[in-house]
Amino acid sequence: MARTLAMFTDTSLCIGCRACQVACKQWNELGAEVPDWTGTYQNHTHFTDKTFRLVRFIEEPGGKPNGDLAWLLMSDVCKHCADAGCLNACPTGAIYRTEYGTVNINQDVCNGCRYCVSACPFGVVSFNEQTGTAKKCTFCNDRIHNGLGPACAKACPTESIQFGFRDELVAKAQKRVETLKAMGFKNAQLYGADSRGFLSGLNAFFLLMSKPAVYGLPDNPKLPQKNIVMDSLLSIGSALLVGIGALVAFRGRGNGKGV
Amino acid sequence: MSLLQSSHWPFLIDVYFFLGGLAGGAFVIATVANILNARRYRDVIRVGYYLSLAALIPCPLILIVDLGVPSRFLNMLMRFNIESPMSMGAWALLGFSACAFVAALLTFMEDIGRARDLSGPKLIVGVIGGAFGFFLAAYPGVLLGATARPLWIEGHALGAVFLAVGASTGAAAMALILMVVGRAADQVASVRTMTVAALVIQLIALAVFVGSVQSSGSVAATTALKLLTEGRFAALFWGGAIVVGSVLPLVLGVLDLRRRSFGLTAVTSLLVLVGGFLVKYVIMAAGQV
Repeated sequence: MARTLAMFTDTSLCIGCRACQVACKQWNELGAEVPDWTGTYQNHTHFTDKTFRLVRFIEEPGGKPNGDLAWLLMSDVCKHCADAGCLNACPTGAIYRTEYGTVNINQDVCNGCRYCVSACPFGVVSFNEQTGTAKKCTFCNDRIHNGLGPACAKACPTESIQFGFRDELVAKAQKRVETLKAMGFKNAQLYGADSRGFLSGLNAFFLLMSKPAVYGLPDNPKLPQKNIVMDSLLSIGSALLVGIGALVAFRGRGNGKGV
Repeated sequence: MSLLQSSHWPFLIDVYFFLGGLAGGAFVIATVANILNARRYRDVIRVGYYLSLAALIPCPLILIVDLGVPSRFLNMLMRFNIESPMSMGAWALLGFSACAFVAALLTFMEDIGRARDLSGPKLIVGVIGGAFGFFLAAYPGVLLGATARPLWIEGHALGAVFLAVGASTGAAAMALILMVVGRAADQVASVRTMTVAALVIQLIALAVFVGSVQSSGSVAATTALKLLTEGRFAALFWGGAIVVGSVLPLVLGVLDLRRRSFGLTAVTSLLVLVGGFLVKYVIMAAGQV
């Protein structure tokens, strides 16, 4: 396996220009959509089958070090989780991991069961009614296999989105957090950089200027499949009870004429 | 504001979960009856195996129609992914279909007089198919539990709920058919006892599910649970799934064990069927909002 590639989105540098969102649409030929009126510059409220990069615009009262309102911008994207709920859930094998550690949906294999849509802890995977398949960020699979970075990272004018080897980017990100903390941004923190943390780390990780919950991100996203063992054991327990119930129901009336 | 997205599985999938559970439950009950006393419970076994095949036939069709690309339905069987309950469910559906078909075929051969007693082969198919039947009834619950939807990921025992509903609805449908066919009143009594037992397990499993969501400490999950307990689906949940669909038939069923009235059994069975469907329906609906 090749060295793991990653995208590091440093939200402290984001100016909300949405060049990434547009570059993503253009390179991946995603096409136009009817805009949502969200009350902010954000379009759309969620990832869609035609929006793989989504700049979130968030207002946090008292979020700035001096107590002013903080205007938080975050260019959100598929996290390419090291433990990916969508990949585990996929019954057809359409969702696979590339040699670079990214997660992709093979559009020729996906049959549109939509299980991955519910299984994603970040609401990334979306269903496309026209193709009948699930869609999400490909980490510009075609570009990274030809020596180019993802379109969004290429288009970003402030280097808020950086592309490179994961280990190098994590080291860089850790330094950046320290710098921001020294500047008084006490809530600056990395999200998903720790490969021993939740979901074994995200290959698209973030530097956030506030708590994850402010961005609507889960504090500690869980791998959906963690429930399977427990739920299966409880199902087996219930099956045993049903079995015992059936034995009682059908044995009690044998009238001594049992086989 | 939650970032999560929903699969928006439609009403037809609720119907599939209901029919699959009913088929699995009826098959298991017929198998137990066949093991304990094949001659005495001849009609129970016949009805159980015929019913499970009949309830099963629409299932694969529903699943295929629901796919985004129905022509690729066989892709489900190109991978054996133990981490995906949907993959395991697809295989279980295949295995159960084979067993349900053979069991119904053996029963049919007995019925048309081609063979006098096939309870031996039926026993083998019944035990293998019974394992698949349990799996088919339970896996949708485990499948829902293995998503990121707050109500489902935080609640345990969804598989147990679905399995118990499969058993109760399977038994109720069998009792109803046996009554309508109008034979074997003594055999119906056993199926009635089975229905009562399954209803008790169903209520316990539901309590465990609700309790586990309640105690999870997740705001999103408890908010979703409130849709069931006091929100949009409260009337269907409390009134439909719990009172009319589980508790009332349980009480009627216990009374019926003593009195054995045709009308009471018919009403009880219908309530169990409606209630079992509503249990699955409200869990699906509240989880996907």
